[in-house]
Amino acid sequence: MLDKLMNMDRRIVFILVALAVIIPTKLRVNLPISVSEPTQKLYDYIDNLEADSTIMIAFNYGPAGLPELHPMGRAVLKQCFDKDVRVIGVTLAPDAPTLANTLMEEIAQESGAVAGKDYVFLGYRPGGSLVMLGMGTSIASVFENDYNGTALAEIPIMENITNYDQISLLVDFASGNTTEGWINYANTQYNLQIASGVTGVIIAQMYPFLQTGQLVGLIAGIAGAAEYERLIDAPAKGMQWINIESFVHLLIVGLVILGNIAFFIRNRQEE
Amino acid sequence: MIKITQWTVVCLVLCLSISTAFSQGLSPPANVTAVDTANDDGSSITLKWDAAPEDSGISGYQILRRIADGDLEEIGELLPAGTTTYVDSSIEKGSAYAYAVRAVSETEATVDSEQTAPVKGTGEWFHTGKISLFTAMLLFGAVIVWNIYYARSGKDIFVRRIPGLEAVDEAIGRATEMGRSILYTLGLGRVDDVPTIASMTILGQVARRTADYETPLRVPCRDPIVMNVVREVVRTAYLDEGRPDVYNEENVFFVSESQFAYAAGVDGIMLREKPAAIFLQGQFFAESLILAETGNSIGAIQIAGTDSEHQLPFFIAACDYTLIGEELYAASAYLSREPMLLGSLRGQDWGKVLIFITMILGVILELSGVNWITTLLQKVN
Amino acid sequence: MKRQVPLVLCFLFGVGIILTRFSPHPYSQFFYEEVNSWVLIITPFALVLATVTLIRAHVTRIRRRTEYWQYSFIVFAGIITMVVIGVPYGPQHFVFEWLFNNIQVPMDATMFSLLAFFIASAAYRAFRARSFEATLLLVTAIIVMLGNVPVGDLIWSETSSVKQWILNNPNLSARRGIILGVSLGVISQSIRIILGIERSYLGGGD
Repeated sequence: MLDKLMNMDRRIVFILVALAVIIPTKLRVNLPISVSEPTQKLYDYIDNLEADSTIMIAFNYGPAGLPELHPMGRAVLKQCFDKDVRVIGVTLAPDAPTLANTLMEEIAQESGAVAGKDYVFLGYRPGGSLVMLGMGTSIASVFENDYNGTALAEIPIMENITNYDQISLLVDFASGNTTEGWINYANTQYNLQIASGVTGVIIAQMYPFLQTGQLVGLIAGIAGAAEYERLIDAPAKGMQWINIESFVHLLIVGLVILGNIAFFIRNRQEE
Repeated sequence: MIKITQWTVVCLVLCLSISTAFSQGLSPPANVTAVDTANDDGSSITLKWDAAPEDSGISGYQILRRIADGDLEEIGELLPAGTTTYVDSSIEKGSAYAYAVRAVSETEATVDSEQTAPVKGTGEWFHTGKISLFTAMLLFGAVIVWNIYYARSGKDIFVRRIPGLEAVDEAIGRATEMGRSILYTLGLGRVDDVPTIASMTILGQVARRTADYETPLRVPCRDPIVMNVVREVVRTAYLDEGRPDVYNEENVFFVSESQFAYAAGVDGIMLREKPAAIFLQGQFFAESLILAETGNSIGAIQIAGTDSEHQLPFFIAACDYTLIGEELYAASAYLSREPMLLGSLRGQDWGKVLIFITMILGVILELSGVNWITTLLQKVN
Repeated sequence: MKRQVPLVLCFLFGVGIILTRFSPHPYSQFFYEEVNSWVLIITPFALVLATVTLIRAHVTRIRRRTEYWQYSFIVFAGIITMVVIGVPYGPQHFVFEWLFNNIQVPMDATMFSLLAFFIASAAYRAFRARSFEATLLLVTAIIVMLGNVPVGDLIWSETSSVKQWILNNPNLSARRGIILGVSLGVISQSIRIILGIERSYLGGGD
């Protein structure tokens, strides 16, 4: 019995995890959310920007990162549009353009932002670090047109934007290591301020940059998205999903404790 | 008559502007200098001027620029009061520009500074701000090269035991005994990523051993260039072992560029072919645990290695052996025991000692109130 | 000769690219950008080669009727559909968007969400208090797991603060140690490659 408990079939664990996700979805639990310092920092930074400032958002995630990163993208876009901060969207991930464009259009419609005037999505360019470096000299040299094919010169929001000098902040929503690239190329070489929103798996990777001040703020996984939704007072999927995640975390902690109890009892018996 | 009226109006406007300017005490920006920006590619010129007193009535500055025989033209937007520098990045390389700075009051009265001498933007061959970094690079490079030559002289070099690499033979032996294949993945890295190259060197050693035992070695690739290089690595390894007949090109194949399609593909191979040994060496992201857990579920002996430190916990939890960070780079020296490679490992350790000394010295000096090391390191960019 | 040329090229370009990082001169930057463009140009050629390999592998599977050979038809169906719609009409075409949103998005999301299940099973197996270090790891993991979700603060109001402290201090110190070692390893490996000492990536050690 103890051996069975210690070496529990992974399929039982999978079923328990599935139940821990499905049941709270139906229960609609609302737990209080406290805001962490890195999320607060990013919120404050955008909140302190003057109206008509311009920020750049890099949507560097494909469909896999969508559940975690879309809610935070949604929240940051909403804050920007509500504050009249202009947004330039770009992506370095080939499978991101459709997702990013749809998200920007959706939030713009909700907030009454006008395409070309309050926001623009420039689309995807291959080359990673070359794109980051190229925009430091001239955004138009990298993106000649926006996602819909309109020449940059004809887009009102781009009228006074040449390079990073006119961008107040870059927020990188990433499921890979692009944030490090922005720090290396855009922050170090062009002094562009960088913030990041990342998936749960790579949160720990971001902390060194947060401590050195190379990141002005960080939204960490779905928990960060929920915190941001609380800050802008617009509960959405982030807050809904973090409650569900609470149950999964509780389940894993419970299982780990159970496994250890079995481990101790067996050790005692062996002694 | 009309002319007299026109002149009177012009004079009145002029007098009014001047009197407004003087009544507010608006004085022109002083000591305006324009110099070629240091350590750039010649694409900008830096302007500096003295700060105006707080009660100067200046509400902003407008930069004026003139090229050769042209007139002064406004460039950029109005700069806020208190600004004392401006970098003009909109110049054409090779052209000379003269500048003036216009002080603007709240009532929009203006007064211009004297024009600067014409200046050209020129690119510098060496970035003086990177001297310390350059010196550190040379120093570290020299330490490694010296140690390589030290090793070549035949001196014995001690390398601590790395269990993950000791287990390579065990894993290959097990696969051979069970009559099953070996699966080797290089992760998601491109060919220019150092961990991918490190992984290729380990793969070369693994391929040599599998050639001896005729154990099938399957290598699913995510990057097409990596796939081509890997084919060459495996083919040469088989050739070197005198077993070109065992080499099968189809065993090194492309799966998908998409991260999770690749993970799904490799998982599928694991579940269908049930390899006895799995090597996960290179650069990994979120797919690391998906691969490692599937490998674990089929009971394969798993040896992982990555410098993606955020994925290490997953590998440690799910694999039998894990090469942590730099151990991945030590692998080729460890497995081949080639003196020159071992020498570079020794050089690496010396580099570490240098960093430790700098850190300890920095902490001691900082605690004693001396902060030149910290200042020096902050300058390194 | 076959080996010498790549080694010489590797040395010249390696040293050249390093020097561009210390020289802001336009010629140096031009060299850097040009070399990077060459890298970009190589990629599409390699992609063609990869596609050919993929097609050949699946044709062989169908011909030899290897296990689950029927799935190879799905690979071909996928390739043909996306090429036929994507190449002439671009990714903005509604059929392409529909396929992307309703096939690729859920499939990718499914693969990624497998992580939740695998993390649970791996955590269950790995977190056992076998020794002092393992117990420390176990306790830390529990605090961080609970501190990351709102329920943690309901159990103990300081959970998220303690979690933040763990991430900011012990986690960061350990990571910095690993990063330092990795960086030195990367430099050392790069020097070996540039000097031609490490050449197994060219195929073999000689």
